[in-house]
Amino acid sequence: MNELQERLAWRGISRRGFLKYCTMLASLMALPPAAGQAMAEALARARRPAVIWLPFQECTGCLESITRSHTPTIEGLIFDALSLDYSETLMAAAGHQAEQALKRAVEDNAGRFILVIDGSVPTGLNGAYSCIAGRSNLDLLREVAPKAAVVIAMGSCAAFGGIPAARPNPTGAVAISEIVRDKPLVNIPGCPPIPVVMTGVIAHYLTFGSLPELDRLRRPRAFYGETIHDRCYRRPFYDRGLFAKSFDDEGARQGWCLFELGCKGPVTYNACAHVKWNDHTSFPIESGHGCIGCSEPGFWDAGGFYRPLSAPAGPLKLAAGAVAAGAAVGVAVAIANRARKGAARAAHVTATVADLEKADGGER
Amino acid sequence: MGLEAIPVVVEPADLAAARAVLRELAVLVERLLATGEGGAIDLGVLPLTPAARAWLIDRLGRGEVEIRLTAGGQSTITETGCAGVWWVRHGNEAGVVTSELLEVAYVPGLVPVSRAEVENGLQRLNSGLDGLN
Amino acid sequence: MNALEFLAWVRGPGLDLALAVFALGVVWRLIEIYTLGRKPDLAPPRRVPAASGWHTLWRRMLPPPGMFRRSPVSYVGGYVFHLGLAIVVFFFIPHIQLIKALLGLSWPGLPSPVIDAVTVVTLAAMVVVLIDRVRRPVKRYLSTFEDYFVWVLTFLPVLTGYLAVKHLWLPYTTMLALHILSAELLIALLPFTKLFHAFTAWGSRWFNGEINARRGVPV
Repeated sequence: MNELQERLAWRGISRRGFLKYCTMLASLMALPPAAGQAMAEALARARRPAVIWLPFQECTGCLESITRSHTPTIEGLIFDALSLDYSETLMAAAGHQAEQALKRAVEDNAGRFILVIDGSVPTGLNGAYSCIAGRSNLDLLREVAPKAAVVIAMGSCAAFGGIPAARPNPTGAVAISEIVRDKPLVNIPGCPPIPVVMTGVIAHYLTFGSLPELDRLRRPRAFYGETIHDRCYRRPFYDRGLFAKSFDDEGARQGWCLFELGCKGPVTYNACAHVKWNDHTSFPIESGHGCIGCSEPGFWDAGGFYRPLSAPAGPLKLAAGAVAAGAAVGVAVAIANRARKGAARAAHVTATVADLEKADGGER
Repeated sequence: MGLEAIPVVVEPADLAAARAVLRELAVLVERLLATGEGGAIDLGVLPLTPAARAWLIDRLGRGEVEIRLTAGGQSTITETGCAGVWWVRHGNEAGVVTSELLEVAYVPGLVPVSRAEVENGLQRLNSGLDGLN
Repeated sequence: MNALEFLAWVRGPGLDLALAVFALGVVWRLIEIYTLGRKPDLAPPRRVPAASGWHTLWRRMLPPPGMFRRSPVSYVGGYVFHLGLAIVVFFFIPHIQLIKALLGLSWPGLPSPVIDAVTVVTLAAMVVVLIDRVRRPVKRYLSTFEDYFVWVLTFLPVLTGYLAVKHLWLPYTTMLALHILSAELLIALLPFTKLFHAFTAWGSRWFNGEINARRGVPV
């Protein structure tokens, strides 16, 4: 038995249980069912990769999501079976020892480790807004990222800047992809992201030696290929025009569509509607709250969580002024037209028969 | 109030996807007969409405064998009325179905034991006998 | 600028700007047109002028005798796409949401599949009337750049709206933003192009009927 299977067996996970898990993973990633078997075999053979997890300008919600929601299921164990060499929050070491561990992990695994980052990178004041052991995140990222095999930007802050980058972005926060430009990088946005997406991406990397297929925003297509709205179980109500108008009206009780309550499902690409949260229990819309679009770039400044997508994103400031200006221009043009008419009337000279005859006579 | 209290009205069945599943199954079964290699259809990625699903279950019917697997949650593998086609449902520890497949095989892939496992089993048997002596 | 920021812009400042230009243009042009005035007609009218005005307003919605046969595409196509536009613009639920947010008025919408069907018919009718315009020598002769321009201006919002709803070509967010942008272009330019007939058609028809009645030949 190999290392991973041994570890799994030690934890009471059988070969069948592991295969079953891989089947589910393949299904989630929209890979053909046979890929589950291949994945299981490859994962079993794979060398335990080192993972270095760096927290930047973040709230630790991503790590909470990953570590908590799936224990004690296999996803958690797979993650356990990786060698998490550095994670400030999870590791026992602290202070200089922790820094030492990071240094060693980077050196020992140079070119091979998976770098997971949650949080954005503040660039204002040379990155001084967020520091670990006296070094700015910016500095650390520039040093560590070039030695990584792949970089996983975990959560909306790392992927797109997230809340720290929301207007007015006082710390000059940017996404990891703004700093790390020449490494294979995958964005796993969400606030927080769905845990299985991360295990899925890592499993794919271990199985096939590459990142899964990514979209334009470098998100794995398998999980971010469709909108919440497309896969939402309330979609039939949208199509039939049945909407909840408030959070406690008859429509809300009937489970109607939450579009009018500001649901951002139609513009949010994520897997919540079919992968779901908390061990496949439900997702926000199932609890009666619209999607806030947390996995989309700039979601914080996208015009209000409770404003329907079709409604104006902000107050109309120009309308009243425009009506007044229109009236003013209209009146001015009207006066000018009147004046022109009046001038024409004033310049008008009545022709008499005599004038016509004169002209007539002149020709003769 | 549980989730089941929020009613979901089902749209009229769109059977096109369910029919496509039947056709694909037929192809896989033919391949199983010809080459001995079957295959599987992942129902998780198919947009089947509950009605289409009911229709599919009805069409496939029910066979004689039902296998229950307890490994990281319950799984059931049910033989359909069409021999060689197995309806596989994997559940997690919480009892929620996490993946669902239609597998085409003489024996579902998860069922047979591996050689290594049999060897382990033998070891255990022997140690059990040793204990008796 | 990412897709969501683009969308937020067209939903926010873009919409504000477009509506402002629209309001400015409409108020300006209506005042300008209706203050032009007419010379007082001192002769006693031969028929009841106002009644004829109303009559003409409705009468002009029907083809004059013989005309339908000569140009069926203009009438059928014209009717289909005007009605189609009205249905799609005023009965698609997200559009009603917008109107509700802007004016506080709302009414029941139509189910999405109905709107989908009407949209396809509207697009088809618009293409047909365009082809007819290009292929018939007289229509082509009468057409100016502006006619084609306003056709594009009207066609784009319908097309992009359909593509967005059906998730075709571009990601939904981008397509939705393009749809809103094209609709904003349409409303901003409406007061300054032939599209202003949406406001003036009624008044000018009424005046035509009124004048003709004064002269004793109501039509």
